[in-house]
Amino acid sequence: MHKLIGHTLNRRRALGTLGAVGAGMAAAALSGCTATTANLGGTKSGAAGRRITVGSKGFAESWIMGELYAQGLRARGYQVDLKTNVGSSDIINTALQSGQIDIYPEYTGVIVVNWAGTDTALGTAEETFDIATKWENEHGVTTLQATPFENKNAIAVRKEFADEHGLKKVSDLKGIGNFIYSTYPDNVSGAIGYEGIVETYGLDNMELKTLSIGLNYQAIERGEIQAADVFTTDPQLLRSDLVVLEDDKKLFGFQNVVPLIRDDVFHDLEGDAPEFLNALHSLLTIDAIQALNEASAINRIDPAQVAKVFLQENGLM
Amino acid sequence: MSGIAPAGDPVIPDYGQASECVIDNGVFCGDWFVDQWSTAFWPPLIDHIYMVVIAVAIGFIIAFAAALVAYRKKWLAGPTGIVATFLYTLPPLALFQLLVPFTGLTLLTVEIALVCFTLVIIFQAVLAGLAAVPDDVKKSAIGMGLDQRQLMVNVELPLALPSIISGLRIATVLTVSVATIAAFVVDSGLGSPILKAVSSPFNTQFIAAGALAILLAFVFDGLLVIVGKILTPWTRVRV
Repeated sequence: MHKLIGHTLNRRRALGTLGAVGAGMAAAALSGCTATTANLGGTKSGAAGRRITVGSKGFAESWIMGELYAQGLRARGYQVDLKTNVGSSDIINTALQSGQIDIYPEYTGVIVVNWAGTDTALGTAEETFDIATKWENEHGVTTLQATPFENKNAIAVRKEFADEHGLKKVSDLKGIGNFIYSTYPDNVSGAIGYEGIVETYGLDNMELKTLSIGLNYQAIERGEIQAADVFTTDPQLLRSDLVVLEDDKKLFGFQNVVPLIRDDVFHDLEGDAPEFLNALHSLLTIDAIQALNEASAINRIDPAQVAKVFLQENGLM
Repeated sequence: MSGIAPAGDPVIPDYGQASECVIDNGVFCGDWFVDQWSTAFWPPLIDHIYMVVIAVAIGFIIAFAAALVAYRKKWLAGPTGIVATFLYTLPPLALFQLLVPFTGLTLLTVEIALVCFTLVIIFQAVLAGLAAVPDDVKKSAIGMGLDQRQLMVNVELPLALPSIISGLRIATVLTVSVATIAAFVVDSGLGSPILKAVSSPFNTQFIAAGALAILLAFVFDGLLVIVGKILTPWTRVRV
């Protein structure tokens, strides 16, 4: 019901804006339009408005996290717009910085590697969290507690391929002749991306093929690629006959999920919002997130429904 | 308060068992489609219709006005056509991304790109329709005492209608398909289930959303054909 109201409001707002802009559309189309984003994607601050825009990234786990945030905050009286599937880390982070979204779930390791520019291998999840938090705080963003679960990148190969070449850990890939590895387009450069793996493990025999997240399972089954970048909490991984190679050089670091909230929005939140987010995050253990991911990616239940049931059964709504 | 939250004791809900077809990602799982219709397909379909209608309506107003001006002032036809063609050749996806810094992740961004895409087709169709009106017809109309405006409204536009309608049909069908790319900017329209089915592969969602887009294109096209027939009764052959 809440969701429905939210939808119609959004549409009305969007259409109103369009109507107003329609007249100037010809000029806009030519000049790239000069409308300010302040009243389009942004949010009103102040207790009266309390409009919050939640964003999520481009894969099922993030969609569920976004729904968990949005529905929990709605239940606490906030007006929430949810922008699902905003895109890659860089795109969604830009959207957060520029005020187009206010809150989104991010992975501590992603923050550290992509933006904080840390090259050294990190010792613990806590240390990763601290560096990520420090960087975000310096960029006008507040973080809360991270989830106990981690979802990190790993390299998986088919069981037959592993048996054939005696593969147990990533180092074993060295010297098995040329093979193709796939990852998603924005994970090519950077310490944990393709280039980082080649450099750290000295895998000059590893060729690259970029595929959208989720297409790698089909590709590896068909033999188009031999090794795939996978996420450790992906239910497809648990159901496939793939073998995850041990990250013996500790390249992939730590990836707990932490809510990023822009400072100006955080100051407008009542105490119940951070309280809810912390309570929610502490419940997101590895078992819990795998069950949620499976409901969405295997049973194909809508992420909104998956999140709703979880919040209700855990007394968070 | 900071750091990693202490692991709580979550209640893990029972989400039930999906059908064989869904779990094995069969070609098309009818049961799932029927179950999910109201949440996963109906709202995006409505959003998609909105997006297309708004884009074609605004595109038509702009292109129609531009074509009328270009028809009166012949020297404008060239430059206007070039501008419209240029806008048409911009890859929509690139245009979406270029607009995001200015107009945000909003419907406005999507509509600007879609409108740019419709302009050239409608503009050329209107202009071609007007240019194809036979000279002797215009001369006889003027001879009967019609002024410029009456000539346009009563003679030229009606005779140009079939061409205008065919331009609208092409623009609309094209917009239905291009609007699926809007999902890169806003989580709305039929592109959204398609995009999500790509990053989390599921054939049924893919096929269902794709088929709905194709169906929608056919329906729009059919409606425009009917509108055209109604507006131009004289084109019906009398036996």
